Amino acid sequence: MEKLIKELQVKVVEVLNLIDVQPDDIKVDNQLVGGDLGIDSIDVLEMVIMIEKDYGVKVDNRELGVKVFATLGTLAEYIHKSSPELPN
Amino acid sequence: MRVYISGMGIISPLGKGIPKTGEAIQKSLTGIRPLTLFSTASNQPLPVGEAAGPIEDESLPRTHQLARLAADQAMAKSKETPDAVVMGVTTGGMWTTEALLKKKARDPKLFCLHATGSVAEDIARRYRCTGPALTVSTACASGAAAIKIALEMLRSGSVKRVLAGGADSLCRLTYYGFNSLQLVDPESARPFDQNRRGMSVAEGAAMLLLVANEPHNAVAEILGGGLSCDAYHPATPHPRGQGALAAMQAAIEDAGISVADIDYINLHGTGTLDNDISEARAIDTLYDRQKPLMSSVKGAFGHSLAAAGAIEAVVCAISISNGLVPATVGCRHPDPDLKLEPVIQPTQRPIGTVLSNSFGFGGNNAAVVYSACGKHKPNRTCAQTQPMAILSSACVTGAGNANQTMKAIAAGKTCAGMLGIEEISANLSAGDVRRLKRFPRLALSLAIAAHENSGESDDPSAVFLGTGWGALSETSDFLTRLFETDEQFPSPIDFIGSVHNAAAGQIAMRFQATGANITMTGGDYSFEQALMAAGLLSNSIDDTFLVIGADESHPQLSRLFDRSASGSAILSDGGGALCLKAGPSASGFTIQPVFFESRENNPEVISSLIQRLERPQQINDRYGVILAGFPAACRREGEMQLQTLLAITGFNQPVIDYRKLTGEFASASAVAAVMAVKFLHDGQIPEALCKDKSVELGAKGALIIGTGDFITAMEVMPQ
Repeated sequence: MEKLIKELQVKVVEVLNLIDVQPDDIKVDNQLVGGDLGIDSIDVLEMVIMIEKDYGVKVDNRELGVKVFATLGTLAEYIHKSSPELPN
Repeated sequence: MRVYISGMGIISPLGKGIPKTGEAIQKSLTGIRPLTLFSTASNQPLPVGEAAGPIEDESLPRTHQLARLAADQAMAKSKETPDAVVMGVTTGGMWTTEALLKKKARDPKLFCLHATGSVAEDIARRYRCTGPALTVSTACASGAAAIKIALEMLRSGSVKRVLAGGADSLCRLTYYGFNSLQLVDPESARPFDQNRRGMSVAEGAAMLLLVANEPHNAVAEILGGGLSCDAYHPATPHPRGQGALAAMQAAIEDAGISVADIDYINLHGTGTLDNDISEARAIDTLYDRQKPLMSSVKGAFGHSLAAAGAIEAVVCAISISNGLVPATVGCRHPDPDLKLEPVIQPTQRPIGTVLSNSFGFGGNNAAVVYSACGKHKPNRTCAQTQPMAILSSACVTGAGNANQTMKAIAAGKTCAGMLGIEEISANLSAGDVRRLKRFPRLALSLAIAAHENSGESDDPSAVFLGTGWGALSETSDFLTRLFETDEQFPSPIDFIGSVHNAAAGQIAMRFQATGANITMTGGDYSFEQALMAAGLLSNSIDDTFLVIGADESHPQLSRLFDRSASGSAILSDGGGALCLKAGPSASGFTIQPVFFESRENNPEVISSLIQRLERPQQINDRYGVILAGFPAACRREGEMQLQTLLAITGFNQPVIDYRKLTGEFASASAVAAVMAVKFLHDGQIPEALCKDKSVELGAKGALIIGTGDFITAMEVMPQ
């Protein structure tokens, strides 16, 4: 799980081109969307594509998206639980 | 004065022609079916609205074909040529281009009809129209915005007959793009339904022949139009529908009617969660009492993007002439939270006046009012467009910002080339640029610089942007990733950024510019088109506004798309921006577009130009310099056109070949406009540009001429 979180921190910064944000700045339990990081609904969609592409995990509706992308921790948990590509 | 619809044509997923469309509306049919136009990676293609049109010419991109099919109907009973063509287009030749890029085609000739502007040009040629062929690319509001601009052209008295409308074909970019945003309903669009999940992407075209004098066969009148921008978000409408409300209010005011006069509202109603909430709230604010009948036809026609506003103009005209209110096809259980009661079944009712809404990405909103002929008193008189006061300017080229560019030009040095991405972002913050690639950065940076130079504390309220090619980096990156991932993982950020008007939307957000927000895409004449649009709409803008021309150069696509870049040794880009105000300014200069005609079918084009220019004053007395633009692809022809002008007029003052200084890019004329302002400000032309002798301008102005496929003229004058 820790490895996945580290991996996601790097990916989020890279995919969303978060200039001035270091991977470690994305805290596991902090609000991911609409908080200090400047991540918004468009970024969520880009992350939806990223997790589908890299982990085979789909988030295909807004209600689910709100839960999954609440924090980096909830995202990692959801991927861990749903990914066919990660050992459960 | 009154403006009439004297001819109409339509091709949509519901069929071709007015009778067939009327019948489909009467029967509440839908044209939305699973995609068949191209194969997809998924076994379950999404429902879309495909138009079943006969293929006239295999070499012609699909949008062009659809536009021809609609325009032929609109022009069927007309013997006279239109004076202008104004079209809303967002995809242009994209369907063809995608297939070519996918198989890595590298011959620029194959891409010659890629440009969005090539659709209006094709239609103009088809009917031997030699006047302006203008292209509005304001996303899903394009068709309605094109009709508003055509209306203003007629009101200005400069034209008597305009062929206006919109066309867009389905393509992978829009099919996968909207789906990546989770905006597509997998079951088909259900506008205003409580279970709605999105839109259905569609294609089609509709064209209207608009005339200033009442024809014997008038279908309906166009009473007015309103434009606004949410200035809120690149892709999501304002949650309370502020921009939608402003556009509707502006249209109603422009029409000279009251909300109570409206019998039917043709809603934008895409079926997305956010649009329908936003639009419903705007309607709720507009009406404090009884609302008129309302429906959305997007569940029947799908959402044909730039064509939608024009298709719905035809729907409104059918509604008026047949006394028929279309059903909101797809809506079975109206969402009670929306407090809107959309018409569910087609309803026969006398309809005299209709309001039609079109909203799009970039926060673009357009609303148009149609009515039965003679139903209301004419609200507007014919009024010529006036010169616009220049408050300030800014530019960027391969040589650097305005100061660096003007310094190089004063020394007679070329500014050709491209600045690094960091340099063009110098006045932008990290937050500004995170999701912006080269083109929107250029445009936003120019807008900020022009506004800063104006010294105005108030922000501009409207934006007019001309671009030949738009966001090439976003378009290229979107398609590259789409193809590399077997069409599975397109980038939503790149899709939103690829829309031609995304940059103007960013500028609006930066300045909270909630007035008109227009992007014009007319190839080498895009800046001229943006200036024309500004001139036509400036009377209704109280504050300052920006007119910008910008283009990015892309290492692969520029040489494929832009004929003038194909042959250039080095790629160049940049642009220019002017901060303007309607009417005279206390000090300084004015700018005005004065001529725009095509060379094709127009052997007397230079004589026409001279006639226009020498009124009221001889050209030598009026202008101290000509800045002439010869796009490399038609340089020889352009030079001959200029020589003819010089020979007939005997113009004996400096002529500056500005593309040799700016480099080759579509909106180089925007930099030429900034050069003209600088020369007038200094009162002289730099020696290096006039055979080493300084030329004083005195009280004379500068004439900026575009040559090639079109002959254009803009004048910058002292007051």
